This record gives sequence, structure tokens and C-alpha cells, in this order.
Amino acid sequence: MSASRSFLVPAVVVITAACSLVQGEKEAPSAELHEDYGKVKELLAAKCHSCHGALKQKAKLRLETRDLMLKGEVIVPGQAAKSLLIERVEDMGEDRMPPPEEGAALKSGEIALLRRWIDGGAKAPAGEPVRQGPGEHWAFQVPRRTDLPDDADNPIDVLLEIRRATLGLKAQPLAQRTILIRRLYLDLIGLPPTREQLNDGRPWESIVDELLASPRHGERWARHWMDVWRYSDWYGLDKQLRNSQKHIWRWRDWIVESLNDDKGFDHMIHEMLAADELAPDDPDTLRATGFLARNYYLFNRTTWLDATIEHTAKAFIGLTLNCAKCHDHKYDPITHEDYYRFRAIFEPHQVRLDPVPGETDFEKDGLPRVFDDHLGASTHLHIRGDPKNPDKSRLMEPGVPGILASFAPPVEPVKLPAYAYAPASRDYVQKDYLVPVRTEVETAKKKLAEARKNATAALREEAKLKPGEKTKSGPTQPDFSVQDDFGKHNPELWEVVGKGWVFKDGAVHQTTATRDTERLLLRPEVPRNFEMTCRYMHTGGATYRSVTFRFDVSPDRNYANYVYTSAHAPGSKLHVAYTRGGKSTYPSEGLVAQPIEIGKPYTLRLAVRDRLVNVWLNDKIQIAYTLPDRKPGGGLELSGFDATVAFDDFSIRALPGEVELTKSKNKEPPPALEPVESVEVSEARLAAAEARLASLEAVFAAEQARGDPGAYKQASKRAARLETEALKAAGEYESKAFATDAGKVKAARAKIAKAEKKLADTGVDRITYTPPRVSRKALETPAHKEGQYPAIYPETSTGRRLALARWMTSSSNPLTARVVVNHVWLRHFGEPLVETVDDFGLRAKPPTQQLLLDHLAADFMENGWSFRRLHRLIVTSGAYRLSSTSADADAETRAADPDNRFYWRMNVRRMDAQVVRDSLLHLAGALDFTPGGPSLDPGDAVRRRSLYFKHSRDQQDKFLKTFNDADHLQCYRRSESIAPQQALALSNGKVPIEMAEKIAGQVEGEDFVGPMFELLLGRKPDADERRECETTLADFEAAATEAKKPNPAQRARRGLVHALLNHNDFVSIR
Amino acid sequence: MDINRRLFLGRSGLGFGSLALSAMLQGAERGVNGLAQVAPKAKSVIWLFMRGGVSHMESFDPKPALNELAGKSIGETRFHYVQDPERLRKVRVVVVNDANGQQRNKLYPLQVGSRKYGASGIEVSDWFPHIGGCIDDIAVIRSMWTTDDNHGAQVQFHSGRHMLDPRVPTIGAWVNWGLGTLNENLPQFIGMGPRFFDRSDGHYLGPAYDEVKLKIAPGNPLDYAKPQGDITAEEQRLGFGLVNRLNRLSLDRYPDDAELDARIKSYELAYRMQTSVPGVVNFDKETEATKKLYGFNQNETRPFGQQLLAARRFVERGVRFIQIMHGGGAAGAWDQHSNLKSGHAKLAMQVDRPIAGLLKDLKSRGLLDETLVVFATEFGRTPGSQGANGRDHHPYAFSAWMAGGGLKGGVTHGATDDIGFHPTEDPHYVTDVHATLLRQLGLDPHAMEVPGHKRLEKDFGHPIQEIIS
Repeated sequence: MSASRSFLVPAVVVITAACSLVQGEKEAPSAELHEDYGKVKELLAAKCHSCHGALKQKAKLRLETRDLMLKGEVIVPGQAAKSLLIERVEDMGEDRMPPPEEGAALKSGEIALLRRWIDGGAKAPAGEPVRQGPGEHWAFQVPRRTDLPDDADNPIDVLLEIRRATLGLKAQPLAQRTILIRRLYLDLIGLPPTREQLNDGRPWESIVDELLASPRHGERWARHWMDVWRYSDWYGLDKQLRNSQKHIWRWRDWIVESLNDDKGFDHMIHEMLAADELAPDDPDTLRATGFLARNYYLFNRTTWLDATIEHTAKAFIGLTLNCAKCHDHKYDPITHEDYYRFRAIFEPHQVRLDPVPGETDFEKDGLPRVFDDHLGASTHLHIRGDPKNPDKSRLMEPGVPGILASFAPPVEPVKLPAYAYAPASRDYVQKDYLVPVRTEVETAKKKLAEARKNATAALREEAKLKPGEKTKSGPTQPDFSVQDDFGKHNPELWEVVGKGWVFKDGAVHQTTATRDTERLLLRPEVPRNFEMTCRYMHTGGATYRSVTFRFDVSPDRNYANYVYTSAHAPGSKLHVAYTRGGKSTYPSEGLVAQPIEIGKPYTLRLAVRDRLVNVWLNDKIQIAYTLPDRKPGGGLELSGFDATVAFDDFSIRALPGEVELTKSKNKEPPPALEPVESVEVSEARLAAAEARLASLEAVFAAEQARGDPGAYKQASKRAARLETEALKAAGEYESKAFATDAGKVKAARAKIAKAEKKLADTGVDRITYTPPRVSRKALETPAHKEGQYPAIYPETSTGRRLALARWMTSSSNPLTARVVVNHVWLRHFGEPLVETVDDFGLRAKPPTQQLLLDHLAADFMENGWSFRRLHRLIVTSGAYRLSSTSADADAETRAADPDNRFYWRMNVRRMDAQVVRDSLLHLAGALDFTPGGPSLDPGDAVRRRSLYFKHSRDQQDKFLKTFNDADHLQCYRRSESIAPQQALALSNGKVPIEMAEKIAGQVEGEDFVGPMFELLLGRKPDADERRECETTLADFEAAATEAKKPNPAQRARRGLVHALLNHNDFVSIR
Repeated sequence: MDINRRLFLGRSGLGFGSLALSAMLQGAERGVNGLAQVAPKAKSVIWLFMRGGVSHMESFDPKPALNELAGKSIGETRFHYVQDPERLRKVRVVVVNDANGQQRNKLYPLQVGSRKYGASGIEVSDWFPHIGGCIDDIAVIRSMWTTDDNHGAQVQFHSGRHMLDPRVPTIGAWVNWGLGTLNENLPQFIGMGPRFFDRSDGHYLGPAYDEVKLKIAPGNPLDYAKPQGDITAEEQRLGFGLVNRLNRLSLDRYPDDAELDARIKSYELAYRMQTSVPGVVNFDKETEATKKLYGFNQNETRPFGQQLLAARRFVERGVRFIQIMHGGGAAGAWDQHSNLKSGHAKLAMQVDRPIAGLLKDLKSRGLLDETLVVFATEFGRTPGSQGANGRDHHPYAFSAWMAGGGLKGGVTHGATDDIGFHPTEDPHYVTDVHATLLRQLGLDPHAMEVPGHKRLEKDFGHPIQEIIS
């Protein structure tokens, strides 16, 4: 009987019918007589059996049958008033049964029922079977194969036929070949066959082997296991990672590849639970631990571990361990202690992202994996499941549920290689992390060369000066001072560029209005901070009529800062502006409207300190402005712009420190360009970069030497020294590079001091280096910061998870193989052999086909836990190939087993959501077969297979969701609903419409209906179907013509394809 | 065996979609599973949920004592006992090291005044004057409590289970599951507005019991409501027609295939749904007066008002459960850890007039008697201040209200102490609201179980008899 039926049928029937289905369908003859007894038993089962049943037998009392009640002396037939049972359920005090913490008191009607039954003599059928103790539960016995003759057919058929023959059930014939081939393709690779493949004449086994060997097979079955193993991409609140892990797709790829390699399921379990202990230096295998990393939960460790415990147990051994979190399991022999022993297995483990070759940014890529972090973490039982109330008096040792512990291997700690606990020792990591450091050395070298070249150029300029002349002012030379009254041309001071310049009347005149290519260039280099005063007069000109004073002018003149007066009317002004990359910027904060008149003398004073510019006109401060940046080494120029001008008097000097400037109001814009560094700074930069490189290389050498104590000691000493020297070099560079920023200088000096102190005080022997952080441990709680975790992890792992995995895959473990075989069967036949796929505990009744399940489980274990062998066994069986229709079936068979529990025909199934979508794309030739890689954002434009979509609470493809996509929290079995939203998605969705168009284009020729019908539904249409299709095709064409749509014939074909995609048989696996 | 029974048995706890569909198609008013055991008083539910946590003291349970005690620490007042650890025990701290759910000791004065409304004279804050105007039709429950100290309590108010527990069906899904359809052209469980913590309702009942998400957009209110490609109405009609005829031909080929039969019917319903739904969210035929009643004339009230008017139109057409969430953002807009005054004032303004409009409109059309309106939020806010001007989450006591559907109006039920910290009488866990609602719909909560999914006693709740008329 199925679990659902027991809910509707009186319990008494269920018990007797366990092995005799056919009678079970009819009323039990004694039903009338025992009507009350049936209800009594239901009541006692609900309220009392958890303590007074086969499992617990509290007070040595069992209440499952009348005989047991008599034995326990709790009923006196005929005398309810004298029965202890009645006394206790009626008690309103402390002795009430069930006790308040176990359940609500019985209602008056329920007590009346008990009284009536006892007073009526406590009648019950004779010879009632008594349930065995928990140890005898069928699923706790090691599965055995059934001995079959050597020349026997497929054991599935032999074992099924034994039951069918006993019951007189007649199996249906095999399904038609094309239907079968479609069934096989959809089951094994999740994609429908082409017409050619539908008509493949090769032997069935050849097609089976070909599909099992196809890489598509791994993708198809990976999605099944992703359901069972709760695959979920990370999710959280906005960008905060709260659940699962980034890049968890690597685990998905491991599943696909493992299936395609036909890796034994025992090995898969070992790797998923303990790859870090089994293959600590093999990143490909480590991907498997995504199974555990997926349970990561930021906020609450108990919640995290609860999920780990519950789903590890449900997925692999089919036990509802989670029911024992707060108290002993109500139905199964799993104690409260068992739960916390199981927790202790996982207590030390944590999750981290390891670096992957070629990427050092964990946002972009990384390998999520688990590892044992807190080796000494203790586990305590939580009283009533309350984490705030641990029982500190007892330490819970790691262990598996007691009832199945006899074959548990011992827990043995695993010594890890440096590769695992010190990820910076890995070659590829060192290579990747050295790349930017080496690049910096190269950049610094280049910068130094540039700086030297600039300096040489400046020296050459200097060399042009006559001997004995005042040497060129350095940028910070405080006594720099130059004056000129322009009485005559002084070529040492001014380089005259362009035409039109005339020295006369004690002034220099520009006599033609040009656009400032004509200029006077001051030869001495102006100090960085300077003060310039100039008396001049606008004498005429065209539009703008400006006089410009430029400074910091680069040789190519693409860089300059400047101030100008413009006599342009209206709108004459004084303005500070700048040129960057040849483009001028006229900031509004640097502008002051000023009456500038032709023929009137003005005195402009300009003071510049770092980026701050002050401008006075006729001794009145007009502008205080901060430039975005200053580039040293540029020249100073005087010129007109659309103007004629006369410069009268000019002086410039280094700006004395005591001169106070007015602060600017403009917010300092960020530096527009990287300043050209001086030779000194560039040298310091290169030294720092080289020291950093040497330091990092030494640190990596030390990391690599871990595991060899002698070498490690030497290498770490060297690393420590070089690291300290690199710190010092960095400080020295920073103190020079940021010389104008007091705060940064101070920090840099502190760095130097720290490094020097380290080197001097403690001696290089005792200083230690900092292991680089090249992996990212997931936060244990939101209060933590990544930086507070050590960069080096424990050198051993507890071995607890490996011992668990080996226990699960022990040939003595009765559960693991049964559970997984049941999952595989479910996905080939649409119904499992054991209805409760995640619960093989005491409530799981022996399956109708127990011999078959046991045989398959034993065979699976004996043959390397090979899924491929199991699939092959199943799909080459006759049972798998039966027709799914009950039309023309034997009437008695149909009546005796309408639910097909004895597999006399094939079950019809609906395609999984992923198969629906992938089939649409594949039939249209639009499917992109690129395998693996990061998960994709869901959407209609994606052409990859559906298993590559992101799948989490926050992201799930809408189309897939409509077709009962897996619940990311738990999906041991897909639900399979038929809802109108599916009809809407398939008839109105973008993907089906687009694909219909493409599919329609694939069949050419006179007969469209026949081939298309076969392609989409796996069989040829019958006459009625053909007629309907032909008629509607014509109607479609007429409608398109009527609506004046282009190419009505082709459009009609699309219409027909679209309709066939909506046919029930398209989404069905017949 | 008839088709429904076969489907039910054959799937045993899974794939109830087929069942739902059959129920819808039968139009079984009393529910597919014979769950309607008492005579129903109400037919439909409009479920309004304020996301983030509405301050109970500044909405439906005003506490003037806070003004007198403002600035004092709770420990130095006569209410020191409220923080007795034993009394704080039932709240589960979900998030370790989280700033939420801590004791906020310094009492914070009311940020808004209040006054008595209606013949019943029930005190309501000045932020809800329009709802106050309808108070004689409302039963206010002032003694709600929950266990979840963070916004996962939104899940809890809908399902009765803590966010950390396994997810279970929400009340809307149960109603949908337990009752048959009243309209074969419309989905029976419609949702609008923002939702974050849990995006499905059916859970183990299956996605067929999830809300059908709707937008107020007459052109495209429903996912896949119209072809996302160039397909004319005539082509669509021809396509649906052919699918229907071909599927019927298949019935001979697969005589026992209940799914095939269900699929045929699902296509018929889908075809009707896509034409019916857009019409319901089209307000062209509503009068200006009605639109004004729902606040269409103001930018602040229009969005919520449109959802409520749509809700009324769905109720008129027999939709069973309309679930409307208010307040965007991940946590929910009502979550005023700071700036409570301006925040609550703004949000209350968005909902106050439309909700009052809904109640008046339902009443004037004679629909209020058979429509149950629920106003709820995940928890209240602390009487003590958080920071300068906010209040923290307060799961120990808060308010909800229900109106119509055969409930009493102008009554309050339950009470809290003078600072709104703990219920002092008739405390109600969130599922008591569910039980009350189910009772009015004629459903017995205890009949709401499916094999393999045991429900806890607290999941069922108890009807609040005192507010049932």
C-alpha cells in the first residue's frame, strides 16, 4: 500500500494488506466487527506509540495490539473503569498521558471511544502480527541479490514477472520503436532525438551505449542530482553573501564530469563529504565539497549545521535525522544524542574560497571548498534543541547513529600537505601574485628612465646658459628672482617666439593680434611656488582681446595653467584656466568679471603655491583658485590672444614661505594627471618595487619550504628580513612621493621607523614574516572581518567526515545503495520503489518490489557503484520498454492494478522543466552545447542548457519555474503539476514562439504534417490527427493572408509547429 | 476510481496541481476535500500586509503613558518587570550578533497624537484618520505576538513558521487548496506588491498553490498573458483549437491518462484567463467618485489604491484570496529604525485613504459581509528608542485588524500594558488570525493536512471567537 492510501484506509486494513494487494483493495470481511478497534489503533498510534511502541517501549509497555495491552496490564476487557489506560488518559494532573510536553490531552470523544471498546470486551481479530523491533526493520538489513540462473533474462524482468505471475497480471507489449527511442533520449540525455535518430535501425543496446557515453548524459543526470543534493547558487541581501557560496558552479561541473566519467558513487560520496581529507592537493576533486559549502549560512552556525545534518542524512542514507534535534526521534531508532554526535562530525568544518589559476580576485573566480578549521571545537547536546541551552556536562564525540554504528570505521586524523593548509605555497598562486609586483618593477624602471630623460633635458637647457651666469633655479630654489623692465631684449631671459614682437619705449609690444602662438618664453626654470607681477596694457585686437600669462607649460604645450584678462565686450573678465591634453578648461570658480579697457594700464600679480593660485589686479585680490594639479618642469609664457599688447614691467621670484595666500573656495578637483616624478622619487619607487618583489619571492620561497623544517627556518628568516626591508623601502618611497602631504609623510616615516626598529631591536632571527592571504574564508558570523582569520590553516584535518563517508559506502551499510538506486529508478519509471524517497526509516513500509530493490542495490555495490551499469540494466530491461498505454490491456490486469504498482505497463511522465526548455531549443537547432562554467543569468535570450542557469532563492528562470523547477531548499522529488500557467508559458512565451519558427524552417517538401508530427511527438499522426493538422494548416494560412502577413504559407507552418509544441504528448514522456 | 481520487492517491503528497485544477474546474464551493465543515460566512479574503513592522503604539494601540515616561529607562519605571528574562524567552534570536531585537531601554514618546473614532470610540493614531473613520466596521486585535525577531517574521505571519523552520504553505495557499473556485476564468490566489523573504506559497502543496503574481498594467498584468511574439488573436484561437482537438483524439490512445484530461482542461482555462484578467485590472468602467475614494487623485495614494480597487474587482468576480504587500525594500519600508516620525507619516499616508476607500466601497456594494479584510504586519516596534529617532523590532506585542466577513466591527480584542510591551490579556500567536479567517471561510484548520507533512499544533491556531459576530 502506498503511504497516501494508509491515510484514507483504516489502519487495520493496511497491516493485513501489506503483502496481498488484491484482497487489500476490498473491504476486510471483519471490518464491521472491528470498526472501533481500527479507530482505537489509529488513536493510540497517533498519541501513544512514539513512547509505547516497538521503538521505545517506555515502562516496558507497548500499545500496538490488544495482546500487547493485555500483556502490559493496562486494559481489563469489559471494564473500562478498572483499566489503567483510561485512568491515565483521564488524569488531569501530573500523571496525565500523554504528558503535556509530548502532546495534547485526549478529547472527550476519543476517551469515550476507548471506553466503549474496552467495555465492549476489547475485541480484536486473532493472530495480529506484532511489529518487530527497530533493528529488524527491512531497510536496516544489508540488501542481498536474488540468485538467478546464469542464463536468466534481465533480473528486473525476472523479478517483476515473479510478482505479476503470482497475481495474474499481464504486461503490455513493448512500445512502438520511435516512442521508445524518444523515451530513451529524453531519459538519458534530456534531449529529443532527430527524425534520423528516431528511425535508427541499430540494436537497442548500441543506442543505449552511445547515449550513455554522450557528454549530454552527464548534464542530464547532473540536474537530477543537483535536485537531490540541493544545488543553489549564492544569495543574500543585495550584495551580502548569506547563503551558499560564490562560484559554487564548480561543484556542478564536478557532478557533470563525474557522471560522464562514470565515477563510482561511493567515490562521489567520499569526495563530496571529504575531498579535502582524501585529495587535499587536487583542486578538481576539491570541487566536490561544494555539496557541504552549499549549506553555508552567514548568520547562525546552528542553522547552518542543522541543514548540513538534515540533508546529508536525507540525501545519502534516507534518514530523517533532523527529527532528533530536540528530542529522540518519534518513529526511528535515532536518539537525541545521535543527532549531536552527527553534528560533531561537522563541527570543525568551515568554508573558504581557494584561488584558481589566473585570478586573484575572489569576486571574479575562486574555488569554494570546505576544510576543518576548529579542530578542538566541542559539541554539546542542545537541551530541547535550544542552542542557548547546551548540556555542558557532556562532550558529544563524533559518531553515526548508534543502531548502525557497528561497522563504522575509526576516525583518523589526516595530515595535510602545505598545498592545502598554506595556499600561498602553490606554484600557480605565486606566479599570479607576482605578476602585478613584477609589473610594478617594470613600470618603476620606465618612470625612472623618463625622469632621467627629463632631468637631462633640463640640464641641457641649463648648459645653454653662459658661464658665470646665475645658475638655473631649481624648482625649490628659494632665492630665485628675475626682473625685466623690457628696456631692451634680454635673450638670456626671454625666448621670443613668432613675429610681431617689438621692443620700444621701455616696453615689449606685440603688434599683431594672433592666437597666442606668438609668445615670450621665460628661459629660467620657475620654482614650483612663485610670485609674478606684470604691468601691461591691452592696446587693441579682434574678438577676445586677451592677455595671457601661462605657467607649467609643457614642451608640447598640451599642458598649462594660466591666468588672463579679456577686454572682450560685453563680458570683460579676469580668469584662471588650464589646459590638459591640449584641451582648455575654463572653470567658473576661477572667473571674475572685471572691466578691462583698451589703453588702460593694469598690474597683475600672480602667486602660486602648490595648486593654490591667487590673482590680484591693481593690488586688489580678485581670485583664489585651486588647480586640479601641477606638473613640474614647465615654462612660463606671456602672450596675447586676438590682442595687441604692451608689457611694461615684469618680475618673478620664489614665493616666500611667509606670504599668506587666500584659500580658494572651489573644492579641489582630483588630480587630472599623474605628475611626472622627479628622478629622486622615481629611484625610490623602483627601490621599493624591487624590495617588494624580493620580499614576496622570499616569502613564497618560505611558504614552499613548509614541511621541511630546516629549510623552512632558513627561508622564513630570509623572508622576514626582506619583508622588513621592503616595508622600509616603501616608507622611503612614500615619504618622497607625497612630500607635500604632511599626513602621508608622517605615516611613511612611521613605516620606516617600524622597519628599522624591527631590524635593529629584535634581530633578524626572531622577526617573523606575514604569510600572504591568498584564500578567502567565509565569515563565520556577520560580526567578523576576513582580516581577523589566519592566512594559514590547520595542518591536520580531523578525518571525521572521511570516516562518515566510508561508513556510508561500507558494504555493510544497508541504506546508501538502496536510497540511491531508488532515486535512479524514480527518474526512469516516474515512480520510486520506496515512496518516501528521503525516509527509509521505520515508517517506510517494505516496498512492493523489495526483492528487486535489494537486488539492484546489491548489484550496484558489487559493481563499483557504477551508475552507468545501473542505467544500462534498467533501460535494457523489458519493463522499461513496455508501452505506456492501457488501451487494449488485459481487463483484469487493468482492474486489479490500476495504479501500475506491478509495472505491467510503463508510466507516463511529464518532462522536467529543464527538458521542456532544452528540447525546444534543441529541436530548433538553437541549443548551444558549450559545457560548464559560471552560472548564467536566467532569461529568454540564453541558448545554453538549462542546468547552467543561476538557481537560487533570488534567481530562477521564470519559464522553468512554471514547469515545477526544483525548489532550491529541498527537492528530493520534483512535483509535477498541471496548471494553466504552463499552458500560457508554452503558448505565449518568447522561447516557444521563437523556436516554433525555427523548427518550422527545418522540414521542407510536400508533406509537412507527417514529418513534423513525428519529430515533435515521436510518432506518425493517424488519419484523424493528420486531417486536423492539414485543415488547421490551411486555416492558419488563410488567417495570415487575411491579416496581410508576409509569407502566409511559412507562417502557417510555424502556427502548426507551435500548436504541436503545446500538444500534451510534447511535454509528456510516453 | 474517479479521476480526482486517482490523482490524489497516485501522487501521495506530490503534484497536487492536478488536484487543484480539478477543484477549480468543478467549481466546488465547499472545497475539494470536503474541508468546508462549518457554514461559510465569507467567500474571499483581502490580505494587506505592511512590510517592515508598523509601530503598534503609533497606529492602533496608542500609549499616552509613553509621553509621560519619555526619556526614562524602562528599569526605573513601574514597568521594569516587562524585561524579566523569563518573559522575554519566547522570542528566538535568529541572527547572532545582530543589532536587531535588542532591548531598547529608553522610553520614546509617541511621535503622533491619537483620538477616539466612531460610535465605538476606539483610539486610533492621527496617521490613520480615514481608517479611523471606518473603525466601527473593524475588529482590532491588540495582543498579537510572534517569535521571530527579524524580518523573517514576514514568512511567519503568512505561514505560522519561523523563517529557520522548513518552509510550509502560507495561509493563502491553504485557502486556495481548501476551497473551490467561484470563477472558472480567473486564478483563485492573486498577489500584488513587493515580496522578499519567501517567494512561494504552496511549498509542499506544489507551485499550483503559489500566488499568481499580478501587476497593475492592463496590457500585461500577468506573466505570459499575451504572446511574446507576432501571433494574431485569430492565429491564437486556431492554435488553441487544434491543441484541444488533438489532445482529445489522444484520449482514445491513452484511456486512463488523468494528466491528459487535466491538461486539456488547463488549456481551456488558460485561454479564458488570458482574456479575463486584463479586463479586471482595467478601471475604465469605474466612476470618478470610486477612483477618488481609493485615492487615485493623489500621487502618494494612487499606486496602493489601484491595487485595492483591483482587489475589489477580483472579489466581485469570485477570487478567493488577494494578497497585497505594501512597502518596498528588502526589509520592508515600514522598518523605521530611525526617522520613525517622517517615515511612518509618509507610509501611513500612502495606505490610509485607499484602505478606508476599500472598506467603504465593499460596504456600499454589500460585499463587506462576505469579504474579509486583514491588515497585518510582521511585528510591532519597541516602546524604547533606537538611536535618536527610531524604534527597533518588537515581536512581544503588536496589533493587527480584521474587518468584514462576519466579524464584529467597532471592537478591540486583547490589550497590552501601558507601554505596549507585552499583551496583558488574550495573547494571540499569528496563526490565530489564520484560524479566524479559515473559520469564517467555513474551513476547519485541522482538516488542512496532507499525508507526509505533519503539522504542529501551533500551525493550526485557534479562531478568535470574541471577534466573531
